[in-house]
Amino acid sequence: MKKKLLSTLMAAAVSVSMLAGCATTTTDTPAAAPDAGAAPQQTEAPAEPAAEPEGSSTETMTGTGEETLHVFLYMQEHEKEIYQKLIDEFVQEHSDQIKEVVFEVTTQDEYNQKMTANLVAGDLPDVFYVGPASVRQYVDNGYIQPLDKYVDDATIKSIWGTTQEIYRYDGSKIGSGSLYAFPKDLSCFAFAYNQDLFDEAGIPYPDPEKPYTYEEFAEVCKQLTKDKDGDGEVDQWGVACADQWGMTPILYSNGVKFLNDDMTKVNVTNNPQLTEALTYYTDLTKNGLTPTVDQDTALGGYQRWLDGQIGFYACGTWDVAAFMDPNTFPYKWNLCGWPVGPSGDGRSHTWMGSVGYTVSATTKFPDLAAQLAAKLSTDEDGQRAVSGISTGASIQLPNIVDLAYGEFKDAVKSGKVPYASNVDVIFGYFDNNDHYAAALQETDYTYNAEWFTPFWSGVFNIKNGDITVEDFLKQVEPEMQSLLDEAIELQNSATN
Amino acid sequence: MAGKRVKTRMSAMAKREERWAWLFIAAPFVGFMLFMAYPIVFAVIASTSKWTGLNSLWGNIVGLGNYIKILHDAKFWKAMGTTVIYMIGIPIGMILGVLIAMGLNRGIPGKRVLTTMYYVPVVSSLVAVSILWAWVFNYDYGLFNGIYKALTGMHGPNWLGDEHMVKVSMIIFMVWKGLGSSIILYLAGLQNIPRDYYEAAMIDGAGSWAKFRNITFPLLSPVTFYILITSMIGGFQVFVEVQVMTNAGGPNYSAATVVYYLYEKAFTNGQLGYGSAVAVILAIIIFIITAINFWGQDKWVRTID
Repeated sequence: MKKKLLSTLMAAAVSVSMLAGCATTTTDTPAAAPDAGAAPQQTEAPAEPAAEPEGSSTETMTGTGEETLHVFLYMQEHEKEIYQKLIDEFVQEHSDQIKEVVFEVTTQDEYNQKMTANLVAGDLPDVFYVGPASVRQYVDNGYIQPLDKYVDDATIKSIWGTTQEIYRYDGSKIGSGSLYAFPKDLSCFAFAYNQDLFDEAGIPYPDPEKPYTYEEFAEVCKQLTKDKDGDGEVDQWGVACADQWGMTPILYSNGVKFLNDDMTKVNVTNNPQLTEALTYYTDLTKNGLTPTVDQDTALGGYQRWLDGQIGFYACGTWDVAAFMDPNTFPYKWNLCGWPVGPSGDGRSHTWMGSVGYTVSATTKFPDLAAQLAAKLSTDEDGQRAVSGISTGASIQLPNIVDLAYGEFKDAVKSGKVPYASNVDVIFGYFDNNDHYAAALQETDYTYNAEWFTPFWSGVFNIKNGDITVEDFLKQVEPEMQSLLDEAIELQNSATN
Repeated sequence: MAGKRVKTRMSAMAKREERWAWLFIAAPFVGFMLFMAYPIVFAVIASTSKWTGLNSLWGNIVGLGNYIKILHDAKFWKAMGTTVIYMIGIPIGMILGVLIAMGLNRGIPGKRVLTTMYYVPVVSSLVAVSILWAWVFNYDYGLFNGIYKALTGMHGPNWLGDEHMVKVSMIIFMVWKGLGSSIILYLAGLQNIPRDYYEAAMIDGAGSWAKFRNITFPLLSPVTFYILITSMIGGFQVFVEVQVMTNAGGPNYSAATVVYYLYEKAFTNGQLGYGSAVAVILAIIIFIITAINFWGQDKWVRTID
């Protein structure tokens, strides 16, 4: 009897320790978290050649004042130097008030977890990141505060219109009301082609003024797909797309929307534009114009693109510096638009991403924190550095519109910033002109991106021929809807 | 009452000692309350809410709502099924562990080097070896398929990209990773078995199989029991290898485990309440399985005395 009691107690102790263990499970591996500030960098985990700092690092700059600010961000090591300099300047400019700015930087993977811990503990940094998707909840729950009253109008007006809109919230909808964040960046997911492969195949380059139609694109891909070494196996493909990120621009360019206008209903079954576009997209693989699903699991499209095996590949604004570096990508390349479907508005569409600096509602120094956020976002020298004007490596476009269209474009033209010469493709997407348009993804407007997961993670079954497009859409809709319902419920729970 | 009487008779020194004793007990007790009891109670409360980490936990209590939802959550059950399937690796690891330990126990030369080699995976970073094995399993460039192609001239299976093969791959990996510690434990167990048992058996004319079945196996049962318990608990908690070696839980979520699902819910999708409910269910399952194991041990676990 005694032994059994002991056994039970031991079992209890063991499983209890397991529970505690579960609650704190952490990992240092990439966790795709599309909601985490819709940060574009995560779309290409392997795309970051620069070493990320291991874990957090904290730097402190001290002045003679009384006050301490805590800044918590994620970025790459070479970016950190740029921002560290801005923070040092800020401390000097306000040295009468500020004692120190604690600048804590972690990896993107760890950021979410640490922020969750901070939120739960009620111990928020003074300045931290917020993504467009999170603004509403953060405001509703009283975690962040409006910045417009602390920063002059001219500064706010100097940034991209899009980033002024997506960080505004009036208590019921995004896009109007007070401004809650300054952009760290505004990026877009453009398309690129390997010029050397075009030269070899004797095909004229894509026209940056006029993106291909679906049909033209497939035709060019056919010409670029070949067995180069003659071993009977294709080793060069027209295009490669990651289903999670590279599929949607092709679908959007056929007018596809996954949700209704108020983002409450999933509409994928009775959606002829989606059926058409998804059929086109999966046929690219079925017709052998992309690596097969199996080949894709062996080596992702990004790596194959870097190896010169792929004609067309996605190029985020954050990828440009890497693609311009001959050690990373020893080929000539340029930008072009995603192919345009027959049932859209005739323009090439893609998605944008952004993450912004916001200020905690509980900060003791809202004025200073807001000004620091504005400086990190809009300091001209800082923007010259991150856009490559002064450093030669462009990891983003300048946040300041005048700087982007003026000095930055000039620097691209003169070759001062190594950049693809068709930079106007990116500007076109931002401008929403006659040929190009870009918008945030629908997942950026919902509480989380879980509802989209069954879609992108299941598309490979169509490519493999295991299910038809129609059946897939029928099968996936209820699951997407129930996850969306859950997201809406959680979104609303925030206002309780 | 009795306690009170004892206390009154205590000398000053005994009192002082008692105070010290309480202090010594307090250290682990406070630690337990802070780092175990409090989080557990918190997790249980959170599991009854729609807590997101952002909203107020108390304002969003839904009772057993999360638990009822989990019962109908196909993804949860798929992950649970996969977690259980992965446990096929436990008996495989045990059998291999005993065999190799017996081999090493014969006093072969290089025993220490071999033991060290088998143990290296156990002390290696799980993340690092998972990345390594992702390459071993790679469809086009992996070690396994390289050997397979050299031998057969055909392309090997898609170890991590096929819904069924990915489970096999994970089991292979887990067996490899855990083998070192079972070998060490079995080796210690073997060395604890008195030589005279075997000598007596030999005199009685027992063959090697009879010796194994009637002496080695029963006397190793405490070790087997220990490995079984720890492996099953560990088996329910598999997470890192899934996270590292597969993309989004593998093709059609075929590689995802319960803890992976929990992590995804809580930290990727911001459903801390739901994630807590999954954790509580997992803890209850582990408790039940461990309790069954302990109760069942009377039937098969033998000790030398």
